[in-house]
Amino acid sequence: MSQPSTVDPRPRVEQGPDGRYRVEGIRCPSCGEVAAFAWPRCPACRSGVGPASFGPDGTVWSSTVVRIPVPGRTPPYVLAYVDLDDGPRVLAHVTGPGAPIGGRVRLAPPSADGDVTVEVLA
Amino acid sequence: MTVAVHGVGTSHFGRQPHRDLVALAADAVQEAFLDAGTDDIDAVWVGTVFGPPGVAQRVLRAMGVTGIPVVTVENACASGTTAFAEAHEAVRTGRHGRVLALGLEQMSTAFAGAITPEPTDPEGRSGLALPALYAMAAARYLHLGLATPEQLAAVSVKNHAHALHNPRAQYSGRHTVAEVLASRMIADPLTLLQCCPTSDGAAAAVLAPATGGAREVTVRGVALRSGAPWNHRSPHVWGHDLVRRTAMDAFAAAELLDATDVDVAEVHDAFTIGEIVTTEALGFVAPGDGGKAAAAGVTALGGVLPVNPSGGLLSRGHPLGATGLAQLAEIVWQLRGEARGRQVEGARLGLVETMGGGVSVLDGNSCVVAVLEAP
Ligand SMILES: [Zn+2]
Repeated sequence: MSQPSTVDPRPRVEQGPDGRYRVEGIRCPSCGEVAAFAWPRCPACRSGVGPASFGPDGTVWSSTVVRIPVPGRTPPYVLAYVDLDDGPRVLAHVTGPGAPIGGRVRLAPPSADGDVTVEVLA
Repeated sequence: MTVAVHGVGTSHFGRQPHRDLVALAADAVQEAFLDAGTDDIDAVWVGTVFGPPGVAQRVLRAMGVTGIPVVTVENACASGTTAFAEAHEAVRTGRHGRVLALGLEQMSTAFAGAITPEPTDPEGRSGLALPALYAMAAARYLHLGLATPEQLAAVSVKNHAHALHNPRAQYSGRHTVAEVLASRMIADPLTLLQCCPTSDGAAAAVLAPATGGAREVTVRGVALRSGAPWNHRSPHVWGHDLVRRTAMDAFAAAELLDATDVDVAEVHDAFTIGEIVTTEALGFVAPGDGGKAAAAGVTALGGVLPVNPSGGLLSRGHPLGATGLAQLAEIVWQLRGEARGRQVEGARLGLVETMGGGVSVLDGNSCVVAVLEAP
């Protein structure tokens, strides 16, 4: 484990004028790859990329409940890989007891600590 | 030039906080030198993940291995096999005549439990402990009906039983599927007995040109790859595609079409789902049949294709940098017919696969697949 720098590596989540939350990332004009990070080039084809925002809704690819101690966190907590609509797969914390695979979720305000967070849509 | 493994050695595996890396590495290196019949080496590749700066030279000087090129590599759980792959390439190309590959790791003094997620990685900073990454692959398999909880547990039952015959394994036992499923939940659906333990250990191999010696295990082919982006466009769970691509490279290098002729394998079972996905990715079984194969004994000792006769990472233990070379040592012993109670009778072709993760977006930091042939 290395020491964290002052730069937070997690995806940046912004609230739009419509009140919804979106992940600020990139889209590759050459191959269509998307990523939730402000990288200078496409991770799949090395092309230059442009900024893109993703969300607010997505589908749960998979999820789990972490029940072991992790430094700085209190188990249990729910994690999910969420495929944002027309966007990348992001790791998110889930409000509530679980996130059914295939279920629809929506980006919520990031946690106080800065975690990407989703809520399960009814 | 064809390369052979001329000698292998390992330490004991387990929680050994009372021993340091100098002592653990000495066990592995001295045994490998004795096995090879020589300590005359020209270069060393060392694999470690959490080893402190200078650890390679620090442990090697204690055995008089000084004044020659020493290179330290890190590729997460595949660090030891990366050292092996690079040592192999150094001999194959004639850069060096005889090379030592060494893997080492001391986890018990660094972590109380699971590895602390890496805070400079987006998903590590988000609290993605490695068991949770594999747990999401397992949950996906269960959701799609590609495996059952009982089939996941069968991998643990099998590998713990294999380890009964491995005196250097950290854990062994005759568990039942019910016991595995009833052990403490770590990250749903993976229970404690489906997760590799915290381990200390070292393993080593001496590589040199093949001369047809009676104890030389020939390296038929080795491949190493880093992961590609893994996302909503990927048809498979995390890790599958990297293992598949690396295996195809290794089979091509070995002049094999596929895994058909492999008799015994050591693969990356840090978590039960890992062995299931890997046996599918390697082509040992059809897609979706990995769990069924484990439950039916296909991959058990005595089965059609025994996987992880050593007990695997689940039971032998998983000192990250040492793991790949421990897998290699097991396959060398198997192909020389020296594996005693866990011997796969008549094994001629063996395979080693190691898979490292921890960089988000990619379907693996690195994977190494090697194909080896009996003397
Ligand atoms: Zn691209």
